Amino acid sequence: MLDPLTIVLLVASGLLVLAVLTSLIAYRIGAPLLLVFLAFGLAVGEDGLGIEFDNAPVAFFIGSVALALILFDSGFNTRLETVARASWPALVLATLGVLLTTGLVGVVTHYLSGLSWPASFLLGAIISSTDAAAVFFLLRVGGLKLRERVRATLEVESGANDPMAVFLTITLVEMIVSGAGRDQAFLDFAGIFFAQIGLGAVMGLLGGWLIAQAINRVQLEPGLYPVMVIGLALLLFAVTSQIGGSGFLAAYIGGLMSGNFGTRSMPMLRRFQDGVSWLCQIGMFLMLGLLATPSGFGLIWVQGLFIAFFLILIGRPIAVWLCLLPFGFKREETAFISWVGLRGAVSILLAITPMMAGIPVGQAFFNIAFIVVLTSLVVQGWTIRPMARWLGILVPPEIGPVEKVELELPGAARHELVVYRITENSPVGTGERIPRWARPSLIVRAGRSLRPHEAGRLQVGDLVYIFAAPRYIRLLDRLFAGRVEITDTDAEFFGDFAFPGTTSLGDIARQYNLEVDDTDAEKTVAELLIQRYGEDIHRGDRLTLGQVELIVRDVTDDNRVARVGVSLAPQERAARLPLFQNLEEITTNLRARLAGRRARNGHPKKAPSPAAADRSSQPKEAE
Amino acid sequence: MSDLISQDAVIASLKANSKKQVIQELSERAAGLVGLPARDIFDHLLQRERLGSTGIGQGVAIPHAKLPTLDRLFGMFARLDKPIDFDAIDDEQVDLVFLLLAPEAAGADHLKALARIARLMREPGTAQKLRASHDAASIYAVLNRASEPNAA
Repeated sequence: MLDPLTIVLLVASGLLVLAVLTSLIAYRIGAPLLLVFLAFGLAVGEDGLGIEFDNAPVAFFIGSVALALILFDSGFNTRLETVARASWPALVLATLGVLLTTGLVGVVTHYLSGLSWPASFLLGAIISSTDAAAVFFLLRVGGLKLRERVRATLEVESGANDPMAVFLTITLVEMIVSGAGRDQAFLDFAGIFFAQIGLGAVMGLLGGWLIAQAINRVQLEPGLYPVMVIGLALLLFAVTSQIGGSGFLAAYIGGLMSGNFGTRSMPMLRRFQDGVSWLCQIGMFLMLGLLATPSGFGLIWVQGLFIAFFLILIGRPIAVWLCLLPFGFKREETAFISWVGLRGAVSILLAITPMMAGIPVGQAFFNIAFIVVLTSLVVQGWTIRPMARWLGILVPPEIGPVEKVELELPGAARHELVVYRITENSPVGTGERIPRWARPSLIVRAGRSLRPHEAGRLQVGDLVYIFAAPRYIRLLDRLFAGRVEITDTDAEFFGDFAFPGTTSLGDIARQYNLEVDDTDAEKTVAELLIQRYGEDIHRGDRLTLGQVELIVRDVTDDNRVARVGVSLAPQERAARLPLFQNLEEITTNLRARLAGRRARNGHPKKAPSPAAADRSSQPKEAE
Repeated sequence: MSDLISQDAVIASLKANSKKQVIQELSERAAGLVGLPARDIFDHLLQRERLGSTGIGQGVAIPHAKLPTLDRLFGMFARLDKPIDFDAIDDEQVDLVFLLLAPEAAGADHLKALARIARLMREPGTAQKLRASHDAASIYAVLNRASEPNAA
């Protein structure tokens, strides 16, 4: 005797467990995990084992809740400094960028398929936003250490652009369904837009602050904190949506606030939400796989792939380039940001809305969105790491791998318990002494627990248990980290020569023909970089001066620039990318060209081209 | 590289015990080839080293300086008898030294030449080949062969 409810539970839980297990295979072949879940959904769906699922409202409900939780978690794990660092470029990308992408895809769709303008833009809106979960996942789990500004921009963009895309899609669906007149619609459109964004932001700030207060003040059974936070997050989402704001924006900002202002039980909360995020992610992609029936796609494949490649190769790059023009990003940075325009769960969720509204092309749109997400995951998701390396966006690791476990102590203790395994090439492993403040409390050697005085000299393979204040953990990491493997590209990354941060800029300028004015010449390089980047400076931050590039090489624990690299031929890397110039470069080039023309008109005899003399030293491709 | 360095500016085995001594030795030999006082070359090189070591890591150093009275780019290479401390970026000792002197007005050509030398010395295999070569002619051949774009 099988109860229908039990069957649903049986199938759902079975799918979940199997999906998680397939992730083991994914690590082997290096495929993006989300792709694996999608493929798994397809495999058991209508085209595979034959589980039928086509309930759009249920899918939309589950998807919305999942997205709200994923966004909350994205915010929760984003530090405010990251937001501060990238707020303007990310904000422009999240608003103007989404509009531009929608417009470009819309125009192409209109001429490709002959659909009406609103319907074409609807398709554009559905696939206009990058997926927070996919971007976060691939950047963090992949262990990529990107240039700080690029990473921050991508993260904040992906979290902040979903609400915009949701809003555009829902508005367009309503316009199509009600058939409202143009002018009327536009006024409504603007009004609703500001209500959504404004209310969403205010509710997010307020709600997030309240959640943080709840975390810090309410005394609960420890296991109840995560439950309370998830409950409050969903409440915030629901209340905001109910009063006409963007619940998704509120969830993201709420996560940001509570994650940054909460102090208690944070590691536990993060771990719990990590799990919830995974669950949502798997649920969404499984559901998408179940909903789609690729065997019925027919000609849609061609259109879908065309739109997908247009989006990846032309649409997003143009939108990103235009949005980032004024922000002085380097060409390779702009190129990389365009490339990490991963589409994912949000597009799928949005693709369900036209189906629910009963728009005739709904099913086709869903199928196209499916193809776009699939293509994006395969083409972009799979190539992020090689692309980052090729473009030189990866910052070489500061310290080698560390084997450690961090444990939070109960109560209001200001210390954490850290467990390190001593590895062969680490400073401690090669005989360096552990400082007095970091004396281990316990040493486990070959399964035996020893007191420090019993253990004597530490040996490779020992586990050491140390109580330390959180701010010292970075120092400890250094003592227990293995050697950093420097590759050729790493050496290239930090330039040819290195100087201490205290070197005067004027001295370097005299050596390498830098263009600096007299006031700058009296500064040290560190001062110049701090002036440009503010206090929040990171390894790999770079500044172009004339033909030379300065690169931050080492930053001390109190955020001072200790060493600066000088790259003498930065233009050779840029030469790989003729596109994506920023505004500054464009004006410089234009000026140079105008000057060149004037000079040629004045002196008809052409000077020998310097390029010819230098042909013997073509840049060697790194890969 | 042949436009930067000639075979008589290659030293297959230089004896020196310190960074200062290497620079001094090289200054003296370079002085003979470019016709400038050794003291002048030495001072300029040392001045540059004071800003930050030119040891670029993995046993390689590229001391360089601009000289007002020089009339062309001048390169010189030395393989040291035994590795010495050079305050290099990776704290490794240095045994391969490529010296570059440039006229004050060389500008972009100076930078390009330096970048070329740095790239050449970082190229996988170049350092090993240089360490395995024991006479000026074969070192000179390695320097030139490696810098050709088609040499795989």
